[in-house]
This record gives sequence, structure tokens and C-alpha cells, in this order.
Amino acid sequence: MNRNKLKETVLGGLIRNNPTFVLVLGTCPTIAMTTTLAQAFAMGLATTFVLIFSNLFVSLLRNIIPDKVRIPCYIVIISTFVIIVQMVMRRFLPDLYATMQAFIALIVVNCIILARAESFASCNPPLYSALDGLSMGLGFTGALCLIGIVREFFAGGAFAGFAIPGFPAMSGAGASAFGFIAFGCMMALFNFIIQKAESRKERLRQASLPLAGGAGEVQA
Amino acid sequence: MADTKKNAVWKCIVVLAAIALCSGLLLGFFNIITYVDPLQSAYDRFAEDTGASFSEMADEEGQQYENGRVIYYAVSDDGQWNAFLTAGSGGYGGEVQVYLYFRGSVLEKLEIGENGETFLSRLEDANFYDRFLGKDVSELSSLGSDVVSGATLSSRAVNGAVGAAVQYFTEKVSGGDTNE
Repeated sequence: MNRNKLKETVLGGLIRNNPTFVLVLGTCPTIAMTTTLAQAFAMGLATTFVLIFSNLFVSLLRNIIPDKVRIPCYIVIISTFVIIVQMVMRRFLPDLYATMQAFIALIVVNCIILARAESFASCNPPLYSALDGLSMGLGFTGALCLIGIVREFFAGGAFAGFAIPGFPAMSGAGASAFGFIAFGCMMALFNFIIQKAESRKERLRQASLPLAGGAGEVQA
Repeated sequence: MADTKKNAVWKCIVVLAAIALCSGLLLGFFNIITYVDPLQSAYDRFAEDTGASFSEMADEEGQQYENGRVIYYAVSDDGQWNAFLTAGSGGYGGEVQVYLYFRGSVLEKLEIGENGETFLSRLEDANFYDRFLGKDVSELSSLGSDVVSGATLSSRAVNGAVGAAVQYFTEKVSGGDTNE
């Protein structure tokens, strides 16, 4: 297993190609399912499950599926896992399912899943594909949770369902418009931090390069 | 050439059919594991929402009306509660299930059940359910069908679900025509 590719796959979904903050995919559940941390976390986990298994099966079947029917095949695979998530949630988490059932069904049309199946799983081995699904899913979950924390804090003066004393709920903060504002601010912050880290890394790399004509000396 | 094309078409059909078949088998397996009996689920929900016990359904067959249907109707063992599970048609994502609890003939509690609506929270934000609560069946039957802006279809479906319970109550419960 190529260690560099492994690292790239894992870090790609979490940070560099974060589906929410960098690729800006799956905006619908990002706004609709981040009013509370619990909903955001559940939505993220459900999507992660679907991503891992749809990527795994698309990758396993990539040499069998004819090119002309690949999209219908991917959709059948994705919808199978979405229905499994629905069945499991309905049976074991009925209260949570009741609040987010329409959006669980809509995972089928979440563009992150079809995009990863088409662009990654269809041309990579199963293990990398499953890992890509896990990494993308966790990246998505993390982003939803961050937005969920901010929205729940402002809209309900609470964290994970527990009221924070001294922080009253802000009227209108539960609205979708505030969700977009929170999403935009966090996206800007995330990309700012990533860019800073990248440029610092680049400076360090430049500093470690040998001087032209020198014998491995580093720049001051 | 024609044979190659024909083979390619057949391959597409066979692969897609095989994937769909495997998918069906997998879903069938999960359905067995996670199956929830709708009748038992309704009993549990009635008991949980009212705090009363329900031994049997007064009507397991239900009744179909123009804009909704009564799925189950039960009377609590102490006779205080009339509990309904109804479904209103015409929602954005299909039917909207509503649990309705009448103490005597007054609607005391209303809970939303399974639905495929994406804007249902707007009804709660607009206090839409308050227009039904605390009202007698006769008042409910003469209630207009107001809707919430931005969630028109969801509002109509909830109106239909409440309307079905009210119609059933008027025709069969008040009239004494239940299966009790």
C-alpha cells in the first residue's frame, strides 16, 4: 500500500478537499440539518455510512459495470445503502428519525456521494475507495458539527442540548438565512487557516532546499 | 458488428438487473431485522403520548376520506381518551401522518408522525397546530383550512389528517357506530 497515497486520501477528504468547506458540495443538508449539533452529527454519520459502502461496492464492481449504465448502477447501489440507514434509524432511533426523515431519504441525491463514486471509486481499488468514503464522510460530519455548534449556540443558547447559562437564544438565528451566514463565515475561516498552513509549509520547504551552487546549506 | 452491439446491450441489462436483484435481497434481509409492526408501534405511541393504557384498537381497518384517512382508532382502557392515527394526503413528500388525542370530544394533543416534508418546522414556528388544540369536534369541523406561507402543501396535508379524524369522530364515534 502506497503510504503517500494513503495519507493523501485521508487528509484530502478531511482537510484539503473537504466536501463542505472546500468543494462546497451537499449544501442542502448543510443548511437544513445543522440547527442542532445532534441532528448535524446524525446526518454526518448517516452520510458517512452511505459514502463508505457505496464507494466500496462501486469500486468492487468497477470492472463489471458497463460504462453506459454506470450512473443507474451507482444510483441503485447508493439508494440501497440509504434505505438501509432509514430502516436502521427508524427501528433503533425513532425520535431522531422523526425529526430528519425527509433529509435521510434525500441522501440519495447528495452530490458528494455520486461525485466520489464517479470521480474516485470508479477508478481506484476498494480499500482506497472505502478510505476515501470514510475521510470524505468524516470531513462532512466535522463541518456539519462545527456549523451545528454555532447555530445551536446562537439560536438556542445551548450546546448539544444543554442550555448555557447567561446566553439567551437569539431571535431569528434558527432561520436558514443565519445558517448561510454561519456557513459562509466558517468556510472563510477554514480556508484562511488552510491557506496559512499551506504557505507556512511552503516556506519551510523553500528554506530546506539547498542553495544554488551550495553544498546543502539552508537559507536563513 | 451487430452481434457485438447486441451483446453490449445484453451485458448492460444483465449487470443492472443483477445489481438490482442483489440490492433487493440485501434490503429484504435488513427489513426482516428492522421490521416494526405498525399496529404495535401505534399502541406504544398512543400510550406514550397520553399516559393511558390501550388494550385493543377500536378500528384496525381505518377509513378513507377525500383529503385523508384514519389509519387506526382506539379508546383508552379508562375510556377518557380517543386516540387517532390519521394521514393527510397531498403533502410535498406524500402523506403526513398525525396522531390526534381527544379527551371526550375536545382535541387535547396533536403530534406529527411519519412524513416526507422538508418544511414541516415552519408549521411549528407559525404555531399552526394551536388552531386545532383545545377545540371541540363541532368547532373543528367548521374550522377553515388556513395554510402557512412557505409550507402550503404540508399545511394542507395536516388539515386533511385532522379533517379525517374529525369526520370519523362525527360519523362513527359521536354516532356510536364504532367497532367497540
